Amino acid sequence: MMKHVAADETVPQDRAVPFRKILIANRGEIVCRIVRTLRELGIASVAIHHRVEDGAKHVRMADEAIEILGDTPVAAHLDGKQIIAAALSAGADAIHPGYGFLSENADFAQAVADAGLTFIGPDAQTIRLMGDKISARNFADAQGVPVAPSVMPTGDIDAFAAAASKIGFPLLIKAAAGGGGKGMSIVRSPSELSEAARIAASEARRYFGDGRVYAELYVERPRHIEVQVLGDGNGNAIHLFERECSVQRRFQKIVEEAPAANLPAALREQICSAAVQLAAAANYRNAGTVEFILGADGRFFFLEMNTRLQVEHPVTEMITDLDLVRTQIEIAAGHGLPLAQNEIAGHGHAIECRICAEDPERDFIPETGTIHYLGVPEAPFIRFENALDAGQKISADFDPMLAKLVVYGATRDEAIDRSIAALGELAVLGVRTNTDYLAKVLGHPAFRAGHLHTGFVNEHRTDLAAAEPDTATLDTVLIAAALGFREFRDLAFGVPEPHATIGHWRN
Amino acid sequence: MAFKVMVDGRAHEVEIVRRRPHLVVRIDGREHEISLPGDIGDGRQTIEIAGLPMHFTRAQSGDRAFIRVAGRTFEAGIVDPRAEAEGSGGGHDHIKAPMPGAVVSVHKAVGDSVARGETIVTIESMKLQTALVAPRDGVIAELYCKEGESFEKDEMIARLQSTAEGVRDDA
Repeated sequence: MMKHVAADETVPQDRAVPFRKILIANRGEIVCRIVRTLRELGIASVAIHHRVEDGAKHVRMADEAIEILGDTPVAAHLDGKQIIAAALSAGADAIHPGYGFLSENADFAQAVADAGLTFIGPDAQTIRLMGDKISARNFADAQGVPVAPSVMPTGDIDAFAAAASKIGFPLLIKAAAGGGGKGMSIVRSPSELSEAARIAASEARRYFGDGRVYAELYVERPRHIEVQVLGDGNGNAIHLFERECSVQRRFQKIVEEAPAANLPAALREQICSAAVQLAAAANYRNAGTVEFILGADGRFFFLEMNTRLQVEHPVTEMITDLDLVRTQIEIAAGHGLPLAQNEIAGHGHAIECRICAEDPERDFIPETGTIHYLGVPEAPFIRFENALDAGQKISADFDPMLAKLVVYGATRDEAIDRSIAALGELAVLGVRTNTDYLAKVLGHPAFRAGHLHTGFVNEHRTDLAAAEPDTATLDTVLIAAALGFREFRDLAFGVPEPHATIGHWRN
Repeated sequence: MAFKVMVDGRAHEVEIVRRRPHLVVRIDGREHEISLPGDIGDGRQTIEIAGLPMHFTRAQSGDRAFIRVAGRTFEAGIVDPRAEAEGSGGGHDHIKAPMPGAVVSVHKAVGDSVARGETIVTIESMKLQTALVAPRDGVIAELYCKEGESFEKDEMIARLQSTAEGVRDDA
């Protein structure tokens, strides 16, 4: 699916990028994905890894790898100074931050620039503007991008609660510096407000070191619609259509698709235009994502802007045939936007399922284990984005996302059918995953009908719970299990007849 | 000869009824004739059960097997009857870690009384915070962890004793 608009054998002189070597300040699947594009562009790659990631796939795949030190693996991956030093020692020209970790850290972006390297992303000032939910929201508001009615924080929680209750209920309390659902809660009556604000503030302080919280109108049954934008840093911006990421658990996405299901053309145009307006006004440079919530009444509100490559970017690549990593690199090199807005056409439908080590039957609690067997579906319309190896330990050191299964179809129905088949074929054995659960989500009539909202998982939890297996399935499982146990095999095949009847397992 | 096989926490009997000319097993009362293509290893496999090909993917890890059949993954284990006989009493007194992670905060001290549902420690795993609560009313007999310490799945976090025991200890 990875075709390039300008995929000539020789890159034209004016599009040649000045980078010879790029360090990727990340780990796992996204490093492997970025290395693929670097290789196509003839740019050498440098991976980084903590000791626990010795020999990991992203380390093997890159041209070079540098060990970074840290008390914990995550601390090492957040140590900007050390990573910049690694880039300098490797002779890299630029750093690609991937997503998560340091990708939206303004100080890191600045330090990279100060070290004479190119940060593949926006400048520090833009990251700072968009990284703070309140400043981002005020900026969007000033540009005429719709924002939900809200109350900004004050030092006085009671005054805040009084002002918030004037908006009406339900209300959403959020951390100013937040993300990933931390410090977030829904308040349905005035009596809960003060306490909810206090809890949110304390959670925000603990997670982000910043206790400021704000309240905004809570949209019931909201859809999460986000727009992929590209900006050249000189006020020019285009969009690559929207993605829908409404299916979430614990406020985090598990299924994303492009385009959004049943989105009226006029509304789609309005949302995409609002995103472009925001990116252009911010002189945004890089690929970015403008997130909105969309109410059942067609009103949509700015949520936040992610100033980096998004986890779910492959669905956009599939429907536009653009390579977003390549685009990021070309923009960082000063080559501007790859195409004009009227040259961008979407086709077909793509769905991404996030394969996570977690137990959907126990409130999606993270799971650990060892991958004993990995069976991956293969087809021209499938991208299985991963950095998994058989024998790999899945620990609690990192995020529970193991891989992304991205599937293309000519229509949404075809993409759904192909995704369900691919999920059925995918075998990640040895650690509990949400693979089967995702197949149930995609097969649910409400999903097929496009009746999506961020409470989908909760609304359909009874339908989505694992059913008792039928006896044919259960018996196959039991026979397949028994045949693998030495004690059973010895008795069934190996042991001379007289001993078989005694059996050391008998009580 | 019957084996007890656990599938997702539930026990089933798999009994070898005949070994020749074909292996015949009885599962929860149902008899099946099985044809094997050869050794059972890890990966995708097909066996014939009552003449019908059944496809599955499996992986073995010690005494546990992971089996994927009909688009679903199951975890199976063989039950050692000796271990089973030892029983599982006193489960209500032990608060174990449901997943690996680290302790964020300890809300109680040894000797504190707790009501059922009250938070004893808050743990964090893969960016998720979870409160570990008292499974019943009681007194904290022991705390096995401090703030910032990490632990594995099923590791003991705290032990409760009944309020009466606590009083006796104090006397």
